[in-house]
Amino acid sequence: MKPRLDVEVCVCTQCVMNGALDIADSVESLKKLKSQLRLKSSVHVDASRGICDKDKHDCSPLVIVDGERLEKTTSEMVMSKVISAMRKTD
Amino acid sequence: MRGIFTPVTNLRRQVFKKVAELAFSGEFDQIDELPYRIIKGEVASYRESVFKERAIVAERIRLACGLNLRSASEHAPISRDFNKALTTERVFELPLVDVIPFACNACDTVHYEVSNNCQGCLAHPCTSVCPVKAVSLVDGRSTIDPEKCLKCGRCASVCPYSAIIKRERPCAAACGVGAIESDDLGRARIDHEKCVSCGQCLVSCPFAAIADKSQIMQLILALKGEGKVFAEIAPAFVGQFGPLATPSKVKAALLEIGFDGVYEVAQGADDVSVSEAEEFLEKVPEELPFLATSCCPAWSVFAKRTLGEKLAGCVSCSLTPMVATARIIKAEHPDSRVCFIGPCAAKKLEAFRRTVRSDVNYVITYEELMGIFAAKEIDFSKDCEEPIGDATETGRNYAVSGGVAEAVVSCIKTKHPEREVSIERAEGLANCKKMLTLAKAGKRNGYLLEGMACEGGCVGGAGTLQPLAKAAAAVRKFASEASRKNKLVDEGQPE
Repeated sequence: MKPRLDVEVCVCTQCVMNGALDIADSVESLKKLKSQLRLKSSVHVDASRGICDKDKHDCSPLVIVDGERLEKTTSEMVMSKVISAMRKTD
Repeated sequence: MRGIFTPVTNLRRQVFKKVAELAFSGEFDQIDELPYRIIKGEVASYRESVFKERAIVAERIRLACGLNLRSASEHAPISRDFNKALTTERVFELPLVDVIPFACNACDTVHYEVSNNCQGCLAHPCTSVCPVKAVSLVDGRSTIDPEKCLKCGRCASVCPYSAIIKRERPCAAACGVGAIESDDLGRARIDHEKCVSCGQCLVSCPFAAIADKSQIMQLILALKGEGKVFAEIAPAFVGQFGPLATPSKVKAALLEIGFDGVYEVAQGADDVSVSEAEEFLEKVPEELPFLATSCCPAWSVFAKRTLGEKLAGCVSCSLTPMVATARIIKAEHPDSRVCFIGPCAAKKLEAFRRTVRSDVNYVITYEELMGIFAAKEIDFSKDCEEPIGDATETGRNYAVSGGVAEAVVSCIKTKHPEREVSIERAEGLANCKKMLTLAKAGKRNGYLLEGMACEGGCVGGAGTLQPLAKAAAAVRKFASEASRKNKLVDEGQPE
Protein backbone atom coordinates (compact mmCIF):
# COMPACT_ATOMS: atom_id res chain seq x y z
CA MET A 1 0.00 0.00 0.00
CA LYS A 2 1.15 3.48 -0.84
CA PRO A 3 1.63 5.58 2.26
CA ARG A 4 -0.75 8.52 2.46
CA LEU A 5 -0.05 11.96 3.86
CA ASP A 6 -3.01 13.75 5.39
CA VAL A 7 -3.26 17.53 5.18
CA GLU A 8 -6.12 19.26 6.92
CA VAL A 9 -6.80 22.92 6.13
CA CYS A 10 -9.08 24.81 8.50
CA VAL A 11 -11.90 26.61 6.68
CA CYS A 12 -13.23 28.83 9.44
CA THR A 13 -14.11 32.40 8.47
CA GLN A 14 -10.73 33.88 9.53
CA CYS A 15 -8.81 31.15 7.72
CA VAL A 16 -10.84 31.47 4.49
CA MET A 17 -10.39 35.25 4.53
CA ASN A 18 -6.67 34.77 4.98
CA GLY A 19 -6.33 32.42 2.03
CA ALA A 20 -6.95 28.91 3.40
CA LEU A 21 -8.60 27.68 0.21
CA ASP A 22 -5.65 28.94 -1.83
CA ILE A 23 -3.36 26.91 0.40
CA ALA A 24 -5.55 23.82 -0.09
CA ASP A 25 -5.38 24.36 -3.86
CA SER A 26 -1.61 24.72 -3.85
CA VAL A 27 -1.23 21.45 -1.94
CA GLU A 28 -3.63 19.79 -4.41
CA SER A 29 -1.50 21.16 -7.23
CA LEU A 30 1.48 19.15 -5.97
CA LYS A 31 -0.21 16.06 -7.38
CA LYS A 32 0.57 17.38 -10.85
CA LEU A 33 4.26 17.64 -9.96
CA LYS A 34 4.46 14.07 -8.73
CA SER A 35 7.02 12.95 -11.28
CA GLN A 36 9.20 16.08 -11.03
CA LEU A 37 9.23 15.82 -7.25
CA ARG A 38 9.74 12.05 -7.41
CA LEU A 39 7.16 11.47 -4.72
CA LYS A 40 6.11 7.95 -3.97
CA SER A 41 3.37 8.64 -1.45
CA SER A 42 0.08 10.35 -2.13
CA VAL A 43 -1.38 13.40 -0.45
CA HIS A 44 -4.92 13.80 0.75
CA VAL A 45 -6.29 17.28 1.40
CA ASP A 46 -9.27 17.86 3.65
CA ALA A 47 -10.66 21.39 3.58
CA SER A 48 -14.14 20.90 4.94
CA ARG A 49 -14.07 21.71 8.65
CA GLY A 50 -13.32 24.65 10.88
CA ILE A 51 -10.69 23.49 13.36
CA CYS A 52 -9.41 26.78 14.81
CA ASP A 53 -10.10 27.33 18.48
CA LYS A 54 -12.14 30.52 18.46
CA ASP A 55 -11.29 31.48 22.03
CA LYS A 56 -7.55 31.47 21.45
CA HIS A 57 -5.40 33.94 19.54
CA ASP A 58 -5.82 34.29 15.78
CA CYS A 59 -3.68 31.57 14.21
CA SER A 60 -5.20 31.68 10.72
CA PRO A 61 -4.61 30.10 8.30
CA LEU A 62 -4.26 26.92 10.31
CA VAL A 63 -3.06 23.75 8.59
CA ILE A 64 -2.34 20.31 10.05
CA VAL A 65 0.25 18.35 8.09
CA ASP A 66 0.61 14.71 9.11
CA GLY A 67 -0.58 15.55 12.61
CA GLU A 68 1.66 18.59 13.00
CA ARG A 69 -0.16 21.84 13.69
CA LEU A 70 1.07 24.83 11.66
CA GLU A 71 -0.19 28.32 12.46
CA LYS A 72 -0.30 31.50 10.35
CA THR A 73 0.72 29.56 7.30
CA THR A 74 1.34 30.55 3.70
CA SER A 75 1.22 28.44 0.54
CA GLU A 76 4.99 28.19 0.28
CA MET A 77 5.34 27.18 3.92
CA VAL A 78 2.77 24.40 3.65
CA MET A 79 3.98 23.12 0.29
CA SER A 80 7.57 22.75 1.46
CA LYS A 81 6.40 21.06 4.66
CA VAL A 82 4.28 18.64 2.67
CA ILE A 83 7.08 17.82 0.26
CA SER A 84 9.61 17.17 2.99
CA ALA A 85 7.08 15.01 4.85
CA MET A 86 6.34 13.04 1.69
CA ARG A 87 10.00 12.44 1.05
CA LYS A 88 10.34 11.08 4.59
CA THR A 89 7.55 8.58 4.04
CA ASP A 90 9.31 7.28 0.92
CA MET B 1 -3.16 38.47 -9.30
CA ARG B 2 -6.53 36.85 -9.74
CA GLY B 3 -7.02 33.55 -7.99
CA ILE B 4 -3.75 33.68 -6.03
CA PHE B 5 -3.60 34.83 -2.44
CA THR B 6 -0.79 37.36 -2.21
CA PRO B 7 0.31 39.96 0.37
CA VAL B 8 -1.73 42.44 -1.70
CA THR B 9 -4.92 40.44 -1.13
CA ASN B 10 -4.03 40.10 2.51
CA LEU B 11 -3.53 43.84 3.02
CA ARG B 12 -6.82 44.69 1.34
CA ARG B 13 -8.75 42.24 3.50
CA GLN B 14 -7.04 43.31 6.73
CA VAL B 15 -8.16 46.86 6.03
CA PHE B 16 -11.77 45.78 5.51
CA LYS B 17 -11.74 43.70 8.67
CA LYS B 18 -10.18 46.39 10.85
CA VAL B 19 -12.53 49.07 9.59
CA ALA B 20 -15.49 46.75 10.22
CA GLU B 21 -14.23 46.03 13.75
CA LEU B 22 -13.93 49.74 14.40
CA ALA B 23 -17.44 50.35 13.09
CA PHE B 24 -18.91 47.63 15.33
CA SER B 25 -16.96 48.68 18.42
CA GLY B 26 -17.73 52.37 17.99
CA GLU B 27 -14.27 53.29 19.33
CA PHE B 28 -13.73 55.83 16.59
CA ASP B 29 -10.93 57.60 18.43
CA GLN B 30 -8.83 54.52 17.63
CA ILE B 31 -8.80 55.29 13.91
CA ASP B 32 -5.24 56.66 13.96
CA GLU B 33 -4.10 53.39 15.57
CA LEU B 34 -5.33 51.18 12.74
CA PRO B 35 -2.26 51.39 10.49
CA TYR B 36 -0.17 50.23 13.47
CA ARG B 37 -2.45 47.25 14.01
CA ILE B 38 -2.25 46.24 10.35
CA ILE B 39 1.45 46.93 9.83
CA LYS B 40 3.13 45.76 13.02
CA GLY B 41 6.66 46.22 14.30
CA GLU B 42 9.52 48.38 13.08
CA VAL B 43 10.66 46.45 10.05
CA ALA B 44 9.09 46.96 6.65
CA SER B 45 7.84 43.79 5.04
CA TYR B 46 6.60 45.01 1.66
CA ARG B 47 8.25 48.33 0.85
CA GLU B 48 11.37 50.31 1.67
CA SER B 49 10.13 51.65 4.99
CA VAL B 50 7.52 50.86 7.56
CA PHE B 51 6.45 54.51 7.59
CA LYS B 52 5.52 54.43 3.95
CA GLU B 53 3.69 51.15 4.39
CA ARG B 54 1.61 52.70 7.15
CA ALA B 55 0.99 55.87 5.16
CA ILE B 56 -0.40 53.80 2.29
CA VAL B 57 -2.50 51.67 4.60
CA ALA B 58 -3.82 54.89 6.12
CA GLU B 59 -5.05 55.99 2.69
CA ARG B 60 -6.67 52.62 2.15
CA ILE B 61 -8.41 52.95 5.51
CA ARG B 62 -9.75 56.35 4.50
CA LEU B 63 -11.03 54.94 1.21
CA ALA B 64 -12.63 52.02 3.02
CA CYS B 65 -14.45 54.56 5.18
CA GLY B 66 -15.65 56.30 2.02
CA LEU B 67 -13.37 59.34 2.40
CA ASN B 68 -11.25 60.96 -0.30
CA LEU B 69 -7.60 60.29 -1.00
CA ARG B 70 -5.09 62.87 0.09
CA SER B 71 -1.96 64.06 -1.60
CA ALA B 72 1.37 63.19 0.01
CA SER B 73 2.02 66.92 0.15
CA GLU B 74 -0.56 67.60 2.83
CA HIS B 75 -0.03 66.78 6.44
CA ALA B 76 -3.03 65.27 8.10
CA PRO B 77 -3.83 62.46 10.51
CA ILE B 78 -6.34 59.89 9.26
CA SER B 79 -8.79 61.20 11.80
CA ARG B 80 -9.04 64.61 10.17
CA ASP B 81 -12.59 65.08 8.80
CA PHE B 82 -13.21 61.47 9.87
CA ASN B 83 -16.52 62.52 11.40
CA LYS B 84 -17.86 62.86 7.89
CA ALA B 85 -17.67 59.08 7.55
CA LEU B 86 -19.69 58.49 10.70
CA THR B 87 -23.13 58.52 9.21
CA THR B 88 -25.56 56.08 7.69
CA GLU B 89 -25.84 58.20 4.54
CA ARG B 90 -23.73 57.81 1.42
CA VAL B 91 -20.53 59.78 1.92
CA PHE B 92 -18.27 58.92 -0.94
CA GLU B 93 -17.70 61.27 -3.81
CA LEU B 94 -16.43 60.41 -7.28
CA PRO B 95 -13.98 59.15 -8.42
CA LEU B 96 -14.75 55.72 -7.06
CA VAL B 97 -11.59 53.94 -8.22
CA ASP B 98 -8.32 55.79 -7.92
CA VAL B 99 -4.56 55.39 -7.78
CA ILE B 100 -2.86 56.09 -4.46
CA PRO B 101 -0.06 58.05 -6.15
CA PHE B 102 2.71 57.47 -3.62
CA ALA B 103 2.03 53.72 -3.62
CA CYS B 104 2.45 53.50 -7.40
CA ASN B 105 5.63 51.90 -8.70
CA ALA B 106 5.55 54.07 -11.85
CA CYS B 107 5.97 50.97 -14.01
CA ASP B 108 7.16 51.43 -17.58
CA THR B 109 4.46 51.99 -20.14
CA VAL B 110 4.12 49.45 -22.91
CA HIS B 111 7.27 48.76 -24.94
CA TYR B 112 9.42 45.88 -26.21
CA GLU B 113 12.83 45.11 -24.82
CA VAL B 114 15.59 42.70 -25.83
CA SER B 115 16.64 40.60 -22.85
CA ASN B 116 19.89 38.77 -22.09
CA ASN B 117 18.39 35.75 -23.74
CA CYS B 118 19.32 37.16 -27.17
CA GLN B 119 21.98 35.01 -28.81
CA GLY B 120 22.55 37.28 -31.80
CA CYS B 121 21.60 34.32 -33.96
CA LEU B 122 22.32 33.98 -37.64
CA ALA B 123 18.65 33.91 -38.55
CA HIS B 124 17.69 36.92 -36.41
CA PRO B 125 14.10 36.86 -37.74
CA CYS B 126 13.30 39.82 -35.48
CA THR B 127 14.82 42.17 -38.02
CA SER B 128 13.09 40.54 -40.99
CA VAL B 129 9.58 40.88 -39.61
CA CYS B 130 9.81 44.45 -38.35
CA PRO B 131 7.71 46.62 -40.66
CA VAL B 132 9.54 49.84 -39.80
CA LYS B 133 13.17 48.68 -39.51
CA ALA B 134 13.21 49.39 -35.80
CA VAL B 135 15.12 46.20 -34.99
CA SER B 136 18.72 45.78 -35.96
CA LEU B 137 21.75 43.76 -34.89
CA VAL B 138 24.23 45.91 -33.01
CA ASP B 139 27.44 44.32 -31.64
CA GLY B 140 26.02 40.86 -32.20
CA ARG B 141 22.80 41.58 -30.35
CA SER B 142 19.32 42.53 -31.40
CA THR B 143 18.47 46.14 -30.56
CA ILE B 144 15.16 47.96 -30.78
CA ASP B 145 15.02 51.64 -31.64
CA PRO B 146 12.28 52.98 -29.39
CA GLU B 147 11.72 56.00 -31.63
CA LYS B 148 10.77 53.85 -34.59
CA CYS B 149 9.08 50.95 -32.78
CA LEU B 150 5.33 50.58 -33.39
CA LYS B 151 4.95 48.13 -30.49
CA CYS B 152 3.35 45.58 -32.82
CA GLY B 153 5.12 42.69 -31.11
CA ARG B 154 6.07 40.83 -34.28
CA CYS B 155 9.75 40.57 -33.30
CA ALA B 156 8.80 39.08 -29.95
CA SER B 157 6.53 36.50 -31.51
CA VAL B 158 9.20 35.17 -33.91
CA CYS B 159 12.25 35.11 -31.63
CA PRO B 160 13.38 31.46 -31.27
CA TYR B 161 14.80 32.19 -27.80
CA SER B 162 11.83 34.18 -26.49
CA ALA B 163 14.40 36.90 -25.91
CA ILE B 164 12.19 39.88 -26.73
CA ILE B 165 9.81 40.75 -23.96
CA LYS B 166 6.86 43.04 -23.69
CA ARG B 167 7.03 45.43 -20.77
CA GLU B 168 3.67 46.68 -19.68
CA ARG B 169 1.89 48.15 -16.71
CA PRO B 170 -0.34 45.49 -15.18
CA CYS B 171 -3.06 48.07 -14.49
CA ALA B 172 -3.06 49.30 -18.09
CA ALA B 173 -3.02 45.72 -19.40
CA ALA B 174 -6.07 44.94 -17.29
CA CYS B 175 -7.94 48.05 -18.38
CA GLY B 176 -10.16 47.32 -21.36
CA VAL B 177 -11.11 50.94 -21.98
CA GLY B 178 -7.63 52.50 -22.13
CA ALA B 179 -8.20 54.72 -19.12
CA ILE B 180 -4.72 54.45 -17.57
CA GLU B 181 -2.39 57.35 -18.35
CA SER B 182 0.62 58.82 -16.57
CA ASP B 183 1.10 61.80 -14.29
CA ASP B 184 4.13 64.10 -14.40
CA LEU B 185 6.14 61.67 -12.26
CA GLY B 186 5.41 58.73 -14.54
CA ARG B 187 2.93 57.20 -12.12
CA ALA B 188 -0.35 55.71 -13.26
CA ARG B 189 -3.29 58.06 -13.35
CA ILE B 190 -6.85 57.14 -14.23
CA ASP B 191 -8.69 59.13 -16.86
CA HIS B 192 -12.04 59.30 -15.12
CA GLU B 193 -13.81 60.30 -18.31
CA LYS B 194 -12.97 56.89 -19.76
CA CYS B 195 -13.06 54.75 -16.61
CA VAL B 196 -16.21 52.68 -16.05
CA SER B 197 -15.10 51.42 -12.60
CA CYS B 198 -14.95 47.73 -13.48
CA GLY B 199 -12.21 47.44 -10.86
CA GLN B 200 -9.92 45.17 -12.87
CA CYS B 201 -6.95 47.54 -12.43
CA LEU B 202 -7.23 47.46 -8.67
CA VAL B 203 -7.05 43.69 -8.50
CA SER B 204 -4.23 43.60 -11.08
CA CYS B 205 -1.84 46.11 -9.50
CA PRO B 206 0.99 44.10 -7.90
CA PHE B 207 1.88 47.09 -5.70
CA ALA B 208 -1.63 47.48 -4.29
CA ALA B 209 -1.59 51.07 -5.46
CA ILE B 210 -5.16 51.21 -6.73
CA ALA B 211 -8.21 51.03 -4.50
CA ASP B 212 -11.87 51.85 -4.55
CA LYS B 213 -14.05 53.47 -1.95
CA SER B 214 -16.25 51.43 0.32
CA GLN B 215 -19.41 51.87 2.35
CA ILE B 216 -18.52 49.32 5.05
CA MET B 217 -18.53 51.98 7.77
CA GLN B 218 -21.87 53.53 6.84
CA LEU B 219 -23.51 50.13 6.32
CA ILE B 220 -22.42 48.84 9.73
CA LEU B 221 -23.62 52.01 11.42
CA ALA B 222 -26.98 51.47 9.71
CA LEU B 223 -27.05 47.82 10.79
CA LYS B 224 -26.39 48.92 14.38
CA GLY B 225 -28.98 51.68 14.17
CA GLU B 226 -32.74 51.81 14.35
CA GLY B 227 -34.12 51.53 10.82
CA LYS B 228 -34.58 48.34 8.85
CA VAL B 229 -31.85 47.31 6.41
CA PHE B 230 -32.35 44.56 3.85
CA ALA B 231 -29.64 42.71 1.96
CA GLU B 232 -29.93 41.77 -1.69
CA ILE B 233 -27.20 39.31 -2.58
CA ALA B 234 -26.06 38.76 -6.16
CA PRO B 235 -25.99 35.15 -7.44
CA ALA B 236 -22.20 34.90 -7.63
CA PHE B 237 -22.07 34.64 -3.82
CA VAL B 238 -22.24 30.83 -3.81
CA GLY B 239 -18.97 29.36 -2.64
CA GLN B 240 -17.33 32.75 -2.06
CA PHE B 241 -17.12 32.46 1.74
CA GLY B 242 -15.72 28.95 1.92
CA PRO B 243 -17.12 25.42 2.05
CA LEU B 244 -18.95 25.96 5.36
CA ALA B 245 -20.94 28.91 3.99
CA THR B 246 -23.82 27.21 2.21
CA PRO B 247 -26.50 29.58 0.84
CA SER B 248 -28.74 29.03 3.81
CA LYS B 249 -25.87 29.62 6.23
CA VAL B 250 -24.92 32.81 4.42
CA LYS B 251 -28.48 33.98 4.92
CA ALA B 252 -28.31 33.14 8.63
CA ALA B 253 -24.99 35.00 8.86
CA LEU B 254 -26.43 38.09 7.18
CA LEU B 255 -29.31 38.11 9.66
CA GLU B 256 -26.80 37.68 12.48
CA ILE B 257 -24.78 40.75 11.51
CA GLY B 258 -27.93 42.82 11.65
CA PHE B 259 -29.81 42.67 8.36
CA ASP B 260 -33.57 42.46 8.70
CA GLY B 261 -34.04 40.22 5.69
CA VAL B 262 -32.24 38.75 2.70
CA TYR B 263 -33.31 38.69 -0.95
CA GLU B 264 -31.71 37.02 -3.94
CA VAL B 265 -30.77 39.46 -6.69
CA ALA B 266 -31.52 36.56 -9.04
CA GLN B 267 -35.16 37.24 -8.23
CA GLY B 268 -34.86 40.67 -9.84
CA ALA B 269 -32.84 39.08 -12.63
CA ASP B 270 -35.83 36.87 -13.40
CA ASP B 271 -37.95 39.96 -14.03
CA VAL B 272 -35.17 41.49 -16.13
CA SER B 273 -35.01 38.36 -18.33
CA VAL B 274 -38.73 38.63 -19.03
CA SER B 275 -38.52 42.32 -19.74
CA GLU B 276 -35.49 42.00 -22.03
CA ALA B 277 -37.18 39.12 -23.85
CA GLU B 278 -40.26 41.27 -24.43
CA GLU B 279 -38.10 44.17 -25.54
CA PHE B 280 -36.28 41.93 -28.00
CA LEU B 281 -39.46 40.45 -29.45
CA GLU B 282 -41.09 43.84 -29.74
CA LYS B 283 -38.25 45.91 -31.16
CA VAL B 284 -35.68 43.73 -32.97
CA PRO B 285 -35.20 44.07 -35.88
CA GLU B 286 -37.95 46.62 -36.72
CA GLU B 287 -37.10 49.44 -34.31
CA LEU B 288 -33.63 48.46 -33.19
CA PRO B 289 -31.03 46.64 -35.29
CA PHE B 290 -29.89 44.59 -32.26
CA LEU B 291 -30.36 44.47 -28.51
CA ALA B 292 -27.56 44.60 -25.95
CA THR B 293 -28.11 43.36 -22.40
CA SER B 294 -27.98 45.97 -19.67
CA CYS B 295 -27.26 44.23 -16.37
CA CYS B 296 -23.48 44.72 -16.23
CA PRO B 297 -23.12 48.43 -15.45
CA ALA B 298 -19.53 48.78 -16.66
CA TRP B 299 -20.48 47.16 -19.96
CA SER B 300 -23.68 49.16 -20.46
CA VAL B 301 -22.00 52.51 -19.80
CA PHE B 302 -19.16 51.56 -22.12
CA ALA B 303 -21.54 50.21 -24.79
CA LYS B 304 -23.67 53.36 -24.83
CA ARG B 305 -20.54 55.47 -25.11
CA THR B 306 -19.01 53.34 -27.87
CA LEU B 307 -22.20 52.97 -29.92
CA GLY B 308 -22.80 56.71 -29.95
CA GLU B 309 -26.04 58.61 -29.64
CA LYS B 310 -27.74 57.01 -32.62
CA LEU B 311 -27.36 53.44 -31.44
CA ALA B 312 -27.30 53.96 -27.66
CA GLY B 313 -30.96 52.89 -27.59
CA CYS B 314 -29.85 49.40 -28.57
CA VAL B 315 -28.69 48.87 -25.00
CA SER B 316 -31.74 47.48 -23.25
CA CYS B 317 -33.62 49.97 -21.11
CA SER B 318 -34.72 47.26 -18.67
CA LEU B 319 -33.82 47.79 -15.04
CA THR B 320 -30.71 46.02 -13.83
CA PRO B 321 -31.27 43.05 -11.48
CA MET B 322 -29.88 45.15 -8.61
CA VAL B 323 -32.46 47.89 -9.11
CA ALA B 324 -35.32 45.51 -9.91
CA THR B 325 -34.68 43.60 -6.67
CA ALA B 326 -34.28 46.82 -4.67
CA ARG B 327 -37.68 47.96 -5.91
CA ILE B 328 -39.27 44.65 -4.89
CA ILE B 329 -37.80 45.13 -1.40
CA LYS B 330 -38.88 48.77 -1.12
CA ALA B 331 -42.40 47.89 -2.25
CA GLU B 332 -42.65 45.28 0.49
CA HIS B 333 -40.86 47.34 3.13
CA PRO B 334 -41.41 51.01 2.28
CA ASP B 335 -39.25 52.65 4.96
CA SER B 336 -36.28 50.35 4.72
CA ARG B 337 -32.77 50.68 3.36
CA VAL B 338 -31.30 48.30 0.82
CA CYS B 339 -27.75 46.99 0.60
CA PHE B 340 -26.59 45.28 -2.57
CA ILE B 341 -23.92 42.67 -1.94
CA GLY B 342 -22.09 41.61 -5.06
CA PRO B 343 -18.79 40.88 -6.77
CA CYS B 344 -18.71 44.22 -8.52
CA ALA B 345 -16.99 47.59 -8.21
CA ALA B 346 -19.04 49.14 -11.01
CA LYS B 347 -22.29 48.51 -9.11
CA LYS B 348 -21.08 51.09 -6.58
CA LEU B 349 -21.03 53.59 -9.40
CA GLU B 350 -24.41 52.45 -10.69
CA ALA B 351 -25.92 53.02 -7.25
CA PHE B 352 -24.45 56.52 -7.37
CA ARG B 353 -26.63 57.39 -10.39
CA ARG B 354 -29.33 59.92 -9.69
CA THR B 355 -32.11 57.55 -10.77
CA VAL B 356 -30.87 54.64 -8.65
CA ARG B 357 -29.80 56.46 -5.49
CA SER B 358 -33.13 56.22 -3.75
CA ASP B 359 -33.45 52.49 -4.55
CA VAL B 360 -30.07 51.18 -3.43
CA ASN B 361 -28.52 52.75 -0.34
CA TYR B 362 -25.35 50.69 0.03
CA VAL B 363 -23.24 48.55 -2.25
CA ILE B 364 -20.55 46.31 -0.83
CA THR B 365 -18.50 43.51 -2.35
CA TYR B 366 -18.15 39.92 -1.17
CA GLU B 367 -14.63 40.71 -0.08
CA GLU B 368 -15.84 43.61 2.04
CA LEU B 369 -18.62 41.42 3.46
CA MET B 370 -16.02 38.79 4.35
CA GLY B 371 -14.22 41.50 6.35
CA ILE B 372 -17.50 42.18 8.18
CA PHE B 373 -18.08 38.46 8.83
CA ALA B 374 -14.52 38.13 10.14
CA ALA B 375 -14.89 41.20 12.36
CA LYS B 376 -18.14 39.80 13.82
CA GLU B 377 -16.57 36.33 14.16
CA ILE B 378 -19.32 34.66 12.18
CA ASP B 379 -18.62 30.94 11.93
CA PHE B 380 -21.45 29.77 9.62
CA SER B 381 -22.64 27.24 12.17
CA LYS B 382 -26.26 28.35 12.05
CA ASP B 383 -28.63 27.25 9.35
CA CYS B 384 -31.55 29.35 8.28
CA GLU B 385 -34.86 27.55 8.14
CA GLU B 386 -36.14 29.37 5.11
CA PRO B 387 -34.23 29.06 1.85
CA ILE B 388 -32.34 32.15 0.69
CA GLY B 389 -34.84 32.72 -2.10
CA ASP B 390 -36.93 31.25 -4.84
CA ALA B 391 -35.16 32.51 -7.95
CA THR B 392 -34.99 30.44 -11.14
CA GLU B 393 -32.08 28.58 -12.66
CA THR B 394 -31.46 31.11 -15.43
CA GLY B 395 -31.75 34.02 -13.00
CA ARG B 396 -29.04 32.54 -10.80
CA ASN B 397 -26.85 31.85 -13.82
CA TYR B 398 -26.64 35.59 -14.58
CA ALA B 399 -23.42 35.48 -12.58
CA VAL B 400 -21.61 33.33 -15.12
CA SER B 401 -20.69 34.69 -18.52
CA GLY B 402 -23.25 33.61 -21.11
CA GLY B 403 -25.91 33.34 -18.43
CA VAL B 404 -27.75 36.56 -19.20
CA ALA B 405 -28.22 35.83 -22.89
CA GLU B 406 -29.19 32.27 -21.98
CA ALA B 407 -31.86 33.57 -19.59
CA VAL B 408 -33.32 36.00 -22.11
CA VAL B 409 -33.36 33.36 -24.86
CA SER B 410 -34.95 30.89 -22.45
CA CYS B 411 -37.80 33.38 -21.86
CA ILE B 412 -38.18 34.05 -25.60
CA LYS B 413 -38.32 30.31 -26.29
CA THR B 414 -40.91 29.75 -23.59
CA LYS B 415 -43.22 32.19 -25.34
CA HIS B 416 -42.22 31.50 -28.94
CA PRO B 417 -40.55 28.10 -29.24
CA GLU B 418 -40.16 28.56 -32.99
CA ARG B 419 -38.22 31.80 -32.80
CA GLU B 420 -34.50 31.54 -33.54
CA VAL B 421 -32.30 34.06 -31.77
CA SER B 422 -28.71 34.72 -32.75
CA ILE B 423 -26.57 35.60 -29.78
CA GLU B 424 -23.07 36.85 -29.43
CA ARG B 425 -21.28 37.47 -26.20
CA ALA B 426 -18.05 39.00 -25.02
CA GLU B 427 -16.29 39.05 -21.67
CA GLY B 428 -13.63 41.54 -20.70
CA LEU B 429 -14.04 45.13 -21.90
CA ALA B 430 -11.38 44.82 -24.60
CA ASN B 431 -13.36 41.96 -26.17
CA CYS B 432 -16.59 43.87 -25.66
CA LYS B 433 -15.10 46.70 -27.67
CA LYS B 434 -14.45 44.38 -30.62
CA MET B 435 -18.00 43.08 -30.49
CA LEU B 436 -19.38 46.62 -30.37
CA THR B 437 -17.29 47.68 -33.35
CA LEU B 438 -18.83 44.88 -35.41
CA ALA B 439 -22.31 45.73 -34.18
CA LYS B 440 -21.82 49.38 -34.98
CA ALA B 441 -20.75 48.46 -38.49
CA GLY B 442 -24.08 46.68 -38.99
CA LYS B 443 -22.64 43.19 -38.81
CA ARG B 444 -24.66 42.02 -35.82
CA ASN B 445 -28.14 43.01 -36.89
CA GLY B 446 -30.87 40.89 -35.39
CA TYR B 447 -28.57 39.73 -32.59
CA LEU B 448 -28.86 39.67 -28.86
CA LEU B 449 -25.52 40.89 -27.53
CA GLU B 450 -24.35 40.00 -24.05
CA GLY B 451 -21.46 41.99 -22.63
CA MET B 452 -19.64 41.29 -19.37
CA ALA B 453 -16.90 43.66 -18.26
CA CYS B 454 -15.10 40.98 -16.27
CA GLU B 455 -13.67 37.80 -17.70
CA GLY B 456 -15.88 34.90 -16.76
CA GLY B 457 -18.76 37.22 -15.92
CA CYS B 458 -19.68 38.43 -12.43
CA VAL B 459 -17.91 35.47 -10.80
CA GLY B 460 -14.69 37.09 -12.06
CA GLY B 461 -15.56 40.47 -10.59
CA ALA B 462 -13.13 42.65 -8.67
CA GLY B 463 -14.79 41.99 -5.31
CA THR B 464 -14.71 38.20 -5.33
CA LEU B 465 -12.66 35.89 -3.11
CA GLN B 466 -12.47 32.61 -5.01
CA PRO B 467 -10.81 31.62 -8.28
CA LEU B 468 -13.01 31.91 -11.34
CA ALA B 469 -13.44 28.25 -12.40
CA LYS B 470 -14.35 27.09 -8.92
CA ALA B 471 -16.76 29.95 -8.37
CA ALA B 472 -18.49 29.41 -11.72
CA ALA B 473 -18.98 25.71 -10.97
CA ALA B 474 -20.46 26.52 -7.55
CA VAL B 475 -22.92 29.00 -9.08
CA ARG B 476 -24.03 26.56 -11.78
CA LYS B 477 -24.58 23.84 -9.21
CA PHE B 478 -26.69 26.10 -7.00
CA ALA B 479 -28.64 27.31 -10.06
CA SER B 480 -29.44 23.73 -11.07
CA GLU B 481 -31.17 23.25 -7.71
CA ALA B 482 -33.78 25.87 -8.59
CA SER B 483 -37.34 24.65 -9.08
CA ARG B 484 -37.82 26.11 -12.56
CA LYS B 485 -35.87 27.37 -15.53
CA ASN B 486 -37.32 30.83 -15.90
CA LYS B 487 -40.15 32.92 -14.58
CA LEU B 488 -42.51 32.26 -17.47
CA VAL B 489 -42.40 28.49 -17.18
CA ASP B 490 -44.82 28.20 -14.26
CA GLU B 491 -47.27 30.70 -15.62
CA GLY B 492 -49.11 28.25 -17.81
CA GLN B 493 -46.61 28.46 -20.65
CA PRO B 494 -45.14 25.32 -22.17
CA GLU B 495 -41.41 24.83 -21.54
